[in-house]
Amino acid sequence: MKPLGLPLSMFLVFAIVILAGSLGAIHYLIVHVLLRRPFGDEPAGGLAGAAAHGERRTAESREGGA
Amino acid sequence: MSGANPYFLAAFVVYLILLMAIAVWAARRTRNVMDFWVFGQKMGPTLATWSLIANFVSAVSVIGFTGAVYASGYSLMTHTILGLMLGVSGLYFVVGLVRRLNVLTFPDLVARVTGTQAARPLAGSVLLLSGWLYLVMQLVGASLLVTAITGVPYQYMVWIIGSVFILYTATGGLVSVAWTDLVQGVIMVGAVIIALAYMVVDLGGLTEINTRFAALDPSFVDPTGGGKLSWPMIGATFLAFFGTIFTEQDMLIRIAATRDVRTAKIHLAASGAILSVFYALLVLLGGATAVALVGSGLGVENPDAAFPTLITRYVPTWIGVVLVLGVMSAILSTTDTRLHAIGMTVARDIYSYFRPRVGEAHLMRVSRAATVLLGLLATAAAMDPPGTIIMLYGFRAVLLTSAFFLPVYIAIYWTALDGRAVLAAIVAGAVVGLGAQVAGGSIGPVPATFCGVGASVALLLVAHWALGPRRRQETVLAGVAADEGAG
Repeated sequence: MKPLGLPLSMFLVFAIVILAGSLGAIHYLIVHVLLRRPFGDEPAGGLAGAAAHGERRTAESREGGA
Repeated sequence: MSGANPYFLAAFVVYLILLMAIAVWAARRTRNVMDFWVFGQKMGPTLATWSLIANFVSAVSVIGFTGAVYASGYSLMTHTILGLMLGVSGLYFVVGLVRRLNVLTFPDLVARVTGTQAARPLAGSVLLLSGWLYLVMQLVGASLLVTAITGVPYQYMVWIIGSVFILYTATGGLVSVAWTDLVQGVIMVGAVIIALAYMVVDLGGLTEINTRFAALDPSFVDPTGGGKLSWPMIGATFLAFFGTIFTEQDMLIRIAATRDVRTAKIHLAASGAILSVFYALLVLLGGATAVALVGSGLGVENPDAAFPTLITRYVPTWIGVVLVLGVMSAILSTTDTRLHAIGMTVARDIYSYFRPRVGEAHLMRVSRAATVLLGLLATAAAMDPPGTIIMLYGFRAVLLTSAFFLPVYIAIYWTALDGRAVLAAIVAGAVVGLGAQVAGGSIGPVPATFCGVGASVALLLVAHWALGPRRRQETVLAGVAADEGAG
């Protein structure tokens, strides 16, 4: 059997690569589109401003007991 | 210049002008440093997806992969491309957690999981060097390719390409980069589809191409290259490229640029699906190139010359013009993203650590200055090309994967890990992985990537056991991890 003129093993490698790259799309379609599971919201206000300097992270690591 | 094809040269010039116009338009939307760095964290799904696709496919992909198929067959799919594609899908499954950690760069992520802010400039320095070397490699490959196609001498071509992407990246930051990427990504994918369609018709169908490719050498259509590649080497190459997806600065920056978790997930899901088909088509185009060139007596000694030869001597001019545009898109979309990433690394990960109280306008100036300076240095270095493209590409992948991949991502989920253990594991992975690669690519029978990754994981566990759980970052990460598990 030589699909597209390729040995079956090589053809399967092509198929596996396409499947591997599409795992996220398959998961997204099933979980977030069909089952409508939420994504979870990010912290209100986002990061703009403070994120430019990393103050949040600095403060958090201090609180964490550095 | 005597061998210059006027149509290719015209396409090249028109394309650069078009790109600059888009970049100037986009730059007017860059109002502050967050716009410059991460698109104001407002990037939507379409822009994020095509920006990732355009960045992902580089001059290395076009020249190196096509050349590798020409010389060694389709086995590239078994390790490098499979590793890259599974890496994009793997990142999809952790992106919700990464996005919610609110990090802008990979060194931010390292600092978060180690609980050590000093990790930002340290990791930033490694990524800066890696990114800069990658940029040099891209410029070398890109300029060689465009020189071969257009006939413009190499030393001029390096500076023409360098000047264009430095100018628009420094002007508009990620806003200019993303909008030009959108155009470039579409052109690039379209060019490969059109070129392969032409070759399929020209050579009598895909089955005929593969049959004739196998007739050149049966090992060309064997997943292991007819046994030339051992399974440990296939596994190590796969792991090296898989790991780079998680540790690339530009991947983390784009995740930070998306407007929410949904967008971050969509852009990785869509990119993975499109890129996997794209690479399959590109590899088939490589096979068609070999069949066409060898069959018409145009065979080349240097595999890297295969694709330029196809463009300049085999396909009709209109297909050549389409491919020139695709090639230019692959080149500029990767170099601009990497240049933006290393400029941001300097300002965000290194400079702002030592000067934490400077204003955003100041950081913007530092970003722009770093972008211009590092871009010029890379262009100058590209005048004297370092090594071969694929070798340096693999060298860098081993370093990033060995040092950062497992320690950082294990620490995201294993929230009780001691930050010092994570740092020790990163250092051990870097030293052992790089050392093994420098020593010839392996230690005994064990490939460098396995050595580096193995050393980092071993030291992570030993150091954690020796130090005991300090729970430094547990409060920061545990809540996010719990949310991710629930969502």
